[in-house]
Amino acid sequence: MNAIEIRNLSKSFRGMYAVDHLNMTVPVGAIYGFIGENGSGKSTTEKLICGHLVADGGEIRLFGRDYTDPGVRVRVGALIENAGCFPGSSVYQNLMMQCINLGIENADEEITRVLGIVRMEENANLKFKKCSLGMKQRIGIAMALLGDPALLILDEPINGLDTDGMRIMREILVDITKNYGCTVLISSHILGELEKIATHYGVIRRGKMIMELSAEEMEKSARVFVSLKTADMQGAYRVLKEKYADVRREGEYVRVYDAEDSAAIVDLLMKNGLAVSEISKNKIGLEEYYIELMSKKEEKRNDA
Amino acid sequence: MTREIKFESPSFQRRIKGMLGVDFYRLFHTPLFYIFLAIAAIIPAMVSAMTVMPGPDGSPGTPLYSNVWQIIAASESLYVICGIADYANMNMVFIFGGIMVSIFIGHDYKSGYVKQLFTTHAKKQDYMISKTLACAFAMACMCISYFIGGTVGGLLVGYETEVNAGSLILAILGKIVMSLGWASFYTFLNVIFRRYFGVSIASSFFFGTGILIIGAAAIVESLGAPAWFLNVFLYGASVNASLASHIGSFFVCLAVSLGWTVIYNLLGTEILSKSDVY
Repeated sequence: MNAIEIRNLSKSFRGMYAVDHLNMTVPVGAIYGFIGENGSGKSTTEKLICGHLVADGGEIRLFGRDYTDPGVRVRVGALIENAGCFPGSSVYQNLMMQCINLGIENADEEITRVLGIVRMEENANLKFKKCSLGMKQRIGIAMALLGDPALLILDEPINGLDTDGMRIMREILVDITKNYGCTVLISSHILGELEKIATHYGVIRRGKMIMELSAEEMEKSARVFVSLKTADMQGAYRVLKEKYADVRREGEYVRVYDAEDSAAIVDLLMKNGLAVSEISKNKIGLEEYYIELMSKKEEKRNDA
Repeated sequence: MTREIKFESPSFQRRIKGMLGVDFYRLFHTPLFYIFLAIAAIIPAMVSAMTVMPGPDGSPGTPLYSNVWQIIAASESLYVICGIADYANMNMVFIFGGIMVSIFIGHDYKSGYVKQLFTTHAKKQDYMISKTLACAFAMACMCISYFIGGTVGGLLVGYETEVNAGSLILAILGKIVMSLGWASFYTFLNVIFRRYFGVSIASSFFFGTGILIIGAAAIVESLGAPAWFLNVFLYGASVNASLASHIGSFFVCLAVSLGWTVIYNLLGTEILSKSDVY
């Protein structure tokens, strides 16, 4: 069973497709990184799953049930665009309202629990409007966590967070999937952060899902490269370019893509009188993977 | 970690209890409700006092009313309003109430809290029912607050108190019962204009003050529509709750109020189900 299964989902605004016959599969227990440029249809898809928007067509199933089933929807927590809290009410009051809405009996305990998860126990009586952006994001997560959700839908939850805030958020998300068995659908532009936690990825472009893969599949298919540093970077670049197809200058380093044998690279440079001061073998990260994927799509489109 | 995930469909009562609980929590924990209760009490007291205040030249004021209870309800069912005194009765609660409903529902959208409600409640009907009931309760409380303010104001000014007690009670009950119909109407209006906070307040005000209703009534009347038609579809039967009320007019109020509630809830649910909610 999948947590989210979407088939042929479409949504248009004034005749323009924001989501265009999209298919998506999110396995139970996954942290699904939903990636795409601005306006690609990420938030629209999330709003459709949450029932905020009415789809033009297609099917959404959550845990094998239709997404309009009240039984499944009551187990969905969401943070889309903002925390959705009343500014004049305190953090505690906002959480209490959501507890009442969900019919949680031991509301005080539940509020203490979720505030503990987001490390905000001290701020329960603070008015929501007095909270910083990072705090508001964490309160939004706390709201979404109330009532033991089976699925969390988080739209850019790490936006506006400082380094420490991002680390806390990362820990929270890993904790709730591991310890509470929750499935998380998370969209973010900060791919470096997403890479640290996501178990699956979906890449959306112009409303269409162009690729879905697990973190392992991405790891396997990601290109390897050798990164090195010499005293004469220009010389090294020239020598390597003669033998290897894809050589790039990246800041203080030269990168040789798809090169498996770093010893052969060192030998080649030594023969040309270039001493290597640093060398490492790496795989491209999510960000580069995404950029390459997008460039390929753009090239295909231009060719067509 | 894998765990067995169970999904229990909440019953209608449980769903409504949850949403109503939120609305009542908000009502009692934010100043809005108390401010409008105070307005409902102060306005009739002020109207009573102002009508007997001497003019700028020292001439004695002309009382608008002869009887305390005329501040609560008109002497008889009036469809055409000729002076401020005809309208300055408990019907004013339906103007303040409309604005209160607009602010109450508008804040759901402005704050984004409505997203939480619609994420966890797939049935849009829940939202309509809950808002209608919570706002009807608030308007009913405002009717009581108005009654207290109007009575105290009238007594202090020294108006007569003679009245048919049965008719007075039926008139007050009629107005309270009509709170439900008006609350459902305003909830419906605010669902239509949910994206435009200012427009929803303006629409509630214009309908509440009767500016739009009187305009529409003039058109409908010129087309030869009967009085009952105006009463049911435009005035909301609140004019029936007068000092000449009897058990029959009370039941008219009750029937119209319930009719409005059903119709506007169905229409509002349909709109929310067929269109983007946020």
